[in-house]
Parts: sequence; C-alpha cells; structure tokens
Amino acid sequence: MAAARRSLNSRRDGWFMVSPITAFLIVVLAIPLVVDCIYAVSRVRFETLRAPEFIGFGNFAKVLFDHEFWGAMLFSLRFGLLVTAAEVLLALVLAIFLAPLLAKRSWLIAPLMLPMMVAPALVGLMYRLALHEFVGPIPYYFVLLTGDSPSFLGPDNVFWTLVTIETLQWTPFALLILYTAYQSIATDVREAAELDGPSTWQMLRYIELPLMRPTILAVGFIRFIDSFRVFDNVFTLTGSGAGGNTMSISIYIYEVFFRRNDIGVAVAASIVLLAVSFGLLTLLLRWSERQA
Amino acid sequence: MKSIVQALCSAAALLALSGAAARAEVTVLGWPGGPEEVSLRASAEVYNKTAAADDQVKLIFFNRDNFFDKLQTDLAAGTTEFDANLTATYAVGRYAPFMDPLELPAAAHETFSDGVLKTMQFEGKQYGIPTDLSMHFMYYRSDLIAKLLSDPAWQAKYSEIAKAKLGKDLKPKDPDQWNWDDWAATALFFTKSVNSDSPTRYGTVLQMKNLLFNMMVWHSTARSFGGNWTDASGKVIVDGPGYRAGLQLYKMLYDAGTSPKDSLSYEYAEANAAFGSGQAATMLQWNAALGDLDSKEKTPAVAGKIGTVAPPAGPDGRFTHIHGLGLGINASSKHKAGALKFLNWLATPDAMLGYARSGGSPALQSALVDKIAKERPDLVKIGTFAGQYGFVMNGATSAKTLPIYELQAKQFTGYWAGTQSLDDALKAVSAGMTDLLKK
Repeated sequence: MAAARRSLNSRRDGWFMVSPITAFLIVVLAIPLVVDCIYAVSRVRFETLRAPEFIGFGNFAKVLFDHEFWGAMLFSLRFGLLVTAAEVLLALVLAIFLAPLLAKRSWLIAPLMLPMMVAPALVGLMYRLALHEFVGPIPYYFVLLTGDSPSFLGPDNVFWTLVTIETLQWTPFALLILYTAYQSIATDVREAAELDGPSTWQMLRYIELPLMRPTILAVGFIRFIDSFRVFDNVFTLTGSGAGGNTMSISIYIYEVFFRRNDIGVAVAASIVLLAVSFGLLTLLLRWSERQA
Repeated sequence: MKSIVQALCSAAALLALSGAAARAEVTVLGWPGGPEEVSLRASAEVYNKTAAADDQVKLIFFNRDNFFDKLQTDLAAGTTEFDANLTATYAVGRYAPFMDPLELPAAAHETFSDGVLKTMQFEGKQYGIPTDLSMHFMYYRSDLIAKLLSDPAWQAKYSEIAKAKLGKDLKPKDPDQWNWDDWAATALFFTKSVNSDSPTRYGTVLQMKNLLFNMMVWHSTARSFGGNWTDASGKVIVDGPGYRAGLQLYKMLYDAGTSPKDSLSYEYAEANAAFGSGQAATMLQWNAALGDLDSKEKTPAVAGKIGTVAPPAGPDGRFTHIHGLGLGINASSKHKAGALKFLNWLATPDAMLGYARSGGSPALQSALVDKIAKERPDLVKIGTFAGQYGFVMNGATSAKTLPIYELQAKQFTGYWAGTQSLDDALKAVSAGMTDLLKK
C-alpha cells in the first residue's frame, strides 16, 4: 500500500516537474503547428486571417508544382552543402594549425569568435556597403591595385559571394568546437601512437581524425541546418536576387507569405519543408550514428 | 502581508493611470528617414503646441526595410499601437480593408487639387491625406553637359559613339530636349570603357535590383514607349512593343557597361552613392534624392553641379511615374477622433506650407506653391512635372498592385541578368498579372 502511494506520489511529482516545459512547448510549438495545419488546407490572406476557407490540399499541389519552390530548394541545398563543406574544412585546418598557438595564448579565441557575434542581417548590410563600387573598401583596393573591380554581386558571382560571406561568418563556430575536440584527445593516446613512430600526417589521418569524427559530423550537421535555412544576410544583401537567383527556401516562404499575400500556400510550403527536413535529418542522423 | 497587498494595489493603480495617460496620445506611424520624417516631426511639434493634452501627437517609425510588409502584418493583426499610419498610392488598395475612409475637411480642397487627393483614394473612398508626392527626375552633371554642348571635339566623339553603338546620327542636346536615344548616347559617351577620355567611369547608374520600387523608376521609360499594364477593357497588355522597347533599352545600357557592374543589386541608396561619388554622369532617380545630392556637406563631389529635368521623351511622349504618400486612420485605433483631428489640421493650407518649409514635398495647389516658390523652387518643378508628365499605370491602385510590381521586378531583372529571354519574361508577367487581376 505504502509502495503504491509512493509510486503515485512520484508519478505526480514527475508530472508536476514536466508541466511547465510541456505548457511552454504547447504554447510555442503545438498551437502554432495546429494553426499552420489549418491554414495549409485553407484559402487565407491577410484580410481573412480569422476566417480561413477550407479548400483541401490545393495549396500543397500549388507548392509541389511551383518551379520556384524547387528552384529555392535547390539553391538552399547547394548553398548549405557548399558552405558546410567549406566551413568544416577551413575550421579543421585552422583548429589543427592554430592549436599550439591557441594553447599558449587562449585569449586569441575571443577575437576569432567576433564574426559570429554579429547579427546575420547586419552582416548583409555591412557587405552591402563594403562591396559597393564607390564607397566600399574592397572594390576600392581592387581598383587601386588592378584598375578594375570584380562584380561581386553580379549574376555570375553573387552565389559565390554569398557562400564566402556565410563561410567567413560561421567558420569561427566550427573552429571553436573542432579546436575543443582536438584539444580533448587524451595525451596518452598520442604518446602511445608515437611509440610506432608515425609521421605527422599519419598521426592526423589514423589517430586524431578518427577520434574527432563524431564532433566533425555534429558540427557539419548543425552548420548544414543553419545554412540550409539561410535568410537574414542574403535577404538584406540581395533579396531574392535578379530573376530570383538568390532565393533560398526561407526567402521563398517569406515572399509568398508577405509579398503575394498567399498565406495558405506559404504555410503549405513550410510544412512540406518540415516534412522534407525531418526525413533528411533522420537519414543523416542514422548515417552519422553508424559513422560514429 | 497587508502592506504588500497595498503596495501591489498602488503599483497596479499607477500602471493603470500611466497606461491611460499613454493611451491619451495619438500615435502616428510615419515614413522613416529622409525629408518625410523630418517634416512630419516638425509638423507634429507645431500641432502639439496648441493641441489639447488628450490629442498630443506621438510619432513612431519602423525601419524602412520591408516597411510595407511590417505595416500589413500589424494592420491585419488589428494593432492599436498606432492610430494613424502611412499609406501610399500603390498600397492604398492593400490597406483599405484595415483602414477607415475619411471625410475630407473643406480646407483640404484649398490645399490639394482633386487629382492629388485621388492618389489616396480606393474605390471612390478617401483613405488618406496626401503629404508627399514622389516622381522621377533625370539627374545630370550640369558641368559635364555644358562642356559637351560647347566642345567640338567632345561633340564629334559623341556623334561617332552614337553611330557606332546605336547606329544613329545624333548630336548632343540640352537634357530637357532628350529622347531615350539622346540619353543612351550621352550615357555611352560618358562611360570610360566606351570612351577612354570620359571624365566619369560610368555614363549612368541604373537601379536594377529585384525590388518593386525599381520597377516604378523603370516604368517612366516603358510608359513613354507606349507601355501600360492594361488597356481600357482591363486586358493585360504588358507583352507589347512599349514594355519590350523599355526593357531592351536598359539591357543594352547595362550590357554596354554604361552602369556599374553590380547595378543588378542597386536601389535608391546605391544609385545615390554612385552618382554622388562623381563617377556617373546621369541618373534617373526619385525627386527626394535632390536635397542630399545637392548638399555640399553630404556629397561635395557633385553638389552645385546637378541639373534636373523630367525623364526623356519616347514615341508616346514624356512621362514620370507619380505616387503619393499620405496618412490615414487605422480601423482598429482606439483614438480615431484624436487622429482625425490631427489629419484634418495637417490638410489645412498653413499646416502643409509648414510641412513643405520643413523639407517635405507635398503637391499643393498652385496658389500655395507661389507662396513658397522662393524657398522651395523644386516644389514648383514637382507641381509642373506632375501636371504635365505624371502618370499612374492602368490598374496600379488596385489591391494587387504590390504583387504585380513584385512579379514584374522578378521577371524583368531575370531578363536584364541574362537568366531568361525577353519573351519568357513578358509571357510570365502577362500570365501572372492576368491571374492576379482576375482574383
């Protein structure tokens, strides 16, 4: 009897403890998700936000047959993969080469982290100024040294300019995590390996990198999610670009929602994105678990 | 315990009182930055000197970026954070469901002509008091054009370039006599990559970013070639010779290098920076840019060396896009009476003269313009240009105006960037507009 009462009390305490976070999640996630599901199957505009008209799955069909949606998905996928690869590689090289210096002068980590402390929207605005041919310092030095300046935001270069900007801003994040992982490799492991007299490359290839692999995968995973859903810096720098050539999936949803006032379609697109992301992330997680 | 309860009650009472005090103000959401904000601030200050305590006006401003998206969201959410808000000719239909129509005071007709008042109307109802009129000027470097008109060597080179690049026999003309060929030839002449003796790097600066406001600038070109959104029956006619010629002109100028290479990411600010650097000889730009560009403190490289005329002529004549900015009543406001008092005061001749003296650009009746012509000669020009060359595309005050501008911006910038053909861009716009206008 006493054991049953204790169990009941314990269960009640458990419910009591998780109730705040449950309530929070219901308010910030579940209710908006329910509203989203209603809007996704409705004809709804700003004028009819409180009176959506049920139309079935027409909004999903519109999204799936919209070539702009797939163009935006392709942009985000390409952008996300390239940026992730660049950031992880660059951060890995920096983490390994700067490790001795950072071990001695750890304060250097602070200035290295500065780029990621700037809000992405401000980074976009900053480069809008920095790359302007007549007021920006970068074109100024190009003109000074070569007599001409490349078209950083022209149709041929704009994608690579955006990739570079994103990489420069977020490589410090990857660097911080990878440097920590590199430093946390136990000294005795390295000492044991050195008994076999490996070269620096062999030490890196067969000892250090395998030990860092779970962290590398986790960093790549986080950075891919972040860069796939890129919005702020691209939006403030180029918008959706000439003919939509810099339209990420987040910008696509924003434009359909606000500019076209087609809220049902925008919400349907976001649900499709959620489903695709969920599937993709599940696959990636399983793969990374196997790799780890 | 009792004292804690008393303290809490007192605090609640104080909060309620301060809330009531805050609610007593009339909050007005204005257009941020630039002369419009400066003038509105000055007008509110004047108004507040004589207004009752309950009618004091407080101004708020969003950031200019995506201003209209934020405004739409707030209005649709039924915000009571502002009582009067900005509206514009091209957005009046979009915001009409969330705003209250106005009964104009008699004084408004002394201040504004019927044509100007119409810029704030939707389906026959008045939704705003017009505060500023926007249009386009062709800006040019008066010092360089003066030399072009007087130097035989430059004139010979100009004719040679016009023949080689445009296939036409042209001679330099006064900018007020320009057609689009004359402007194109001038832009080519003042481009370093075309004419190595050019004193400027570029002959012009085009605003070609995928942005609705850039479409408005370009429309002055399209309209003069005979382009319009719809014909009298409401049929979409953008896929016609007028739009085609206007689009091809910009493409030719961009491809020929007369405008900076990054022009496809340029809008108002970038274009002003290029012209203000002294490295662009001409620019089709909003009238609001003149104050800053002609200021010795802000842009010393070109201040005092700027001429402005109406945009060049095309086969159908000379045109400038016009639209009005104004202030109307938020339908969800809790202080409509106070907001209306302020707007009615703002519509009086004296208030608008004060607004103009503070830097705003209202389109006033000619009798009022005469009173401030010495202080604001540009207002005379604005009034003249609006009367002689001002146009609004057919259907450009509908509820779908902004999505149409967005559609055109996206497709046409794609053509200018070379990512799609002119035919495809025009077909996509034509189909999209037909769809939008029938909904």
